[in-house]
Amino acid sequence: MKRYVMVGGGVAALAAAEAVRRQDAGSEILLFSEDPFGFYSRPGLAYLLTGEVPEKQLFPFSAQDFRRLRLRLLHHRVAAVDLRAHVVVTAEGKEVGYDRLLLATGSSAVMPSLPGAALEGVVKLDDMQDARRILKLARRARRAVVVGGGITALELVEGLAARGVRVHYLLRGERYWRRVLDEHESAIVERKLEEDGVRIHRHAEVAEILGKRGRVAGVRLKNGEVIKCKMVAIAVGVRPNKGLAEAAGLRCGRGVLVDAFMRTGDPDVFAAGDVAEVYDPLSGRTVLDTLWPTARTQGRAAGLNMAGANHPYRRKVPINVTRLAGITTTIIGTVGQPGADKDTLGIVRGDSETWRTLPDAIAAQEGFEVNRIRLMIAGRHIVGAIIMGNQLLSQPLYRMIAGQADIAPVREQLLRPGAPIADILAAFWEQWRVQDGNRTVSV
Amino acid sequence: MSLRGAFQHERKRREALVAGYVVPDNVRCVQCGICSYNCPIGIDVRRHAWLGEPVHDSHCLTCGECVARCPRGVLRFEKTPLFDAEKNPLLG
Ligand SMILES: Cc1cc2nc3c(=O)[nH]c(=O)nc-3n(C[C@H](O)[C@H](O)[C@H](O)COP(=O)(O)OP(=O)(O)OC[C@H]3O[C@@H](n4cnc5c(N)ncnc54)[C@H](O)[C@@H]3O)c2cc1C
Repeated sequence: MKRYVMVGGGVAALAAAEAVRRQDAGSEILLFSEDPFGFYSRPGLAYLLTGEVPEKQLFPFSAQDFRRLRLRLLHHRVAAVDLRAHVVVTAEGKEVGYDRLLLATGSSAVMPSLPGAALEGVVKLDDMQDARRILKLARRARRAVVVGGGITALELVEGLAARGVRVHYLLRGERYWRRVLDEHESAIVERKLEEDGVRIHRHAEVAEILGKRGRVAGVRLKNGEVIKCKMVAIAVGVRPNKGLAEAAGLRCGRGVLVDAFMRTGDPDVFAAGDVAEVYDPLSGRTVLDTLWPTARTQGRAAGLNMAGANHPYRRKVPINVTRLAGITTTIIGTVGQPGADKDTLGIVRGDSETWRTLPDAIAAQEGFEVNRIRLMIAGRHIVGAIIMGNQLLSQPLYRMIAGQADIAPVREQLLRPGAPIADILAAFWEQWRVQDGNRTVSV
Repeated sequence: MSLRGAFQHERKRREALVAGYVVPDNVRCVQCGICSYNCPIGIDVRRHAWLGEPVHDSHCLTCGECVARCPRGVLRFEKTPLFDAEKNPLLG
């Protein structure tokens, strides 16, 4: 009987386990997870903070689901992998053999080395324990400071504001998420935050987190200003947890490098999810994504291949649908903006390196209030889009971008100043979907 | 979106309420469970989204709570092909 060992109990590992089980009914599947809460929706933590969903609702799999898959979930940290001997070693020193191994260890928040960063009340949002800690602190804190950029920083801002905490959001640059959003989009988000009572400080950089009896008491900015607060929440980026793979001698870049079959440098070892650095056929480069659906698709591909199938992972156009200051926002493909984002270090949560790629494209846009569409048009194709507010066109746009729709018939219309982009797209979509009807875009 | 578009959308939504079922788009889903949490009769909509299957549950009221509450636009109504026995779970 073959034994499959998965390190990491997140969506990539679960998807791999499901795929293995489908291919190989009689095998043994062991899942090591150091997270005491096991498998839950990590992006859902943001809604736990706002109070839209209770904690117990965040677990997609019941004990029965685990039994049905005949998975053994072991709450241990894997401390080492011995590739030659085909064993993993737990933190307690127990050795467990494998025939095929999956590394799906995810990513972790990067904490900047600030004076005072170890004080109680300095938080991040990686996992359930962090979310619990934040909720507990929010009960006592009247004021909090949030530092960072990207989606998670805003989720922290909104979650804390929803709990009645007065939030001071510090931006190092002059606007929010400037490598992905354009000026108008940043302004829409910032205005909405300010309407909701969030105080935004631009060009603000923390020099020191101030403490009192081991607890956060405030922050001192580089310009000397002091903001009193009981909490400092940090979301400046994440880093793939590649330490285990690196120590084992596997080929790594920024993450664990894998081939088109999610296989690492060792034929019996695979990697998937946030930790995997995959080849992107569209750009010809290797890239990191920190997206839930992507982690699931990679996990599934890895699982099938671990069980002997020949199933290449084909990276698709990355998409995320999120809320930025309460405004539903879909980000698809290459939408990058020139310049540097001082608020983030590399990749953040719910992010794709592709989005920051500067496309050689012209922007077409409509709407400057809450509802807005920005298209990036390169030649005959739309290569990226940001849809804020009304989401009617978000699914059609994803399909047209992923399916590389030839938009030549409407290109000029779209690029005309003041063009009614939504109407043009809606009409074009009706035609295109009929022509393209039989070609389904799978992910 | 133009006013006309928005109006048509609203009309379509009402029609869907009468003869529709909920369909997930799982590239958007992050399994947060808000849909299942808000279903008044306890259908596990999230599970359908994980499996990529439409909610063909005869108990579904098509009340639209899950569609409206999903923060990521995963769920949408699709019209039941009333007279197509192959696609309509209530016939066939
Ligand atoms: C607050 C937040 C917001 C997010 N927002 C979005 C979003 O809007 N859209 C989106 O698509 N994605 C979002 N994400 C990202 C998404 O959750 C991740 O991309 C996804 O969870 C990655 O899955 P994974 O299985 O690769 O890793 P993870 O889910 O991180 O799971 C890895 C697991 O491995 C365990 N582990 C690590 N090392 C070891 C070891 N040595 N031994 C044993 N266990 C180990 C960890 O404890 C962890 O449980 C968000 C994440 C967070 C936290």
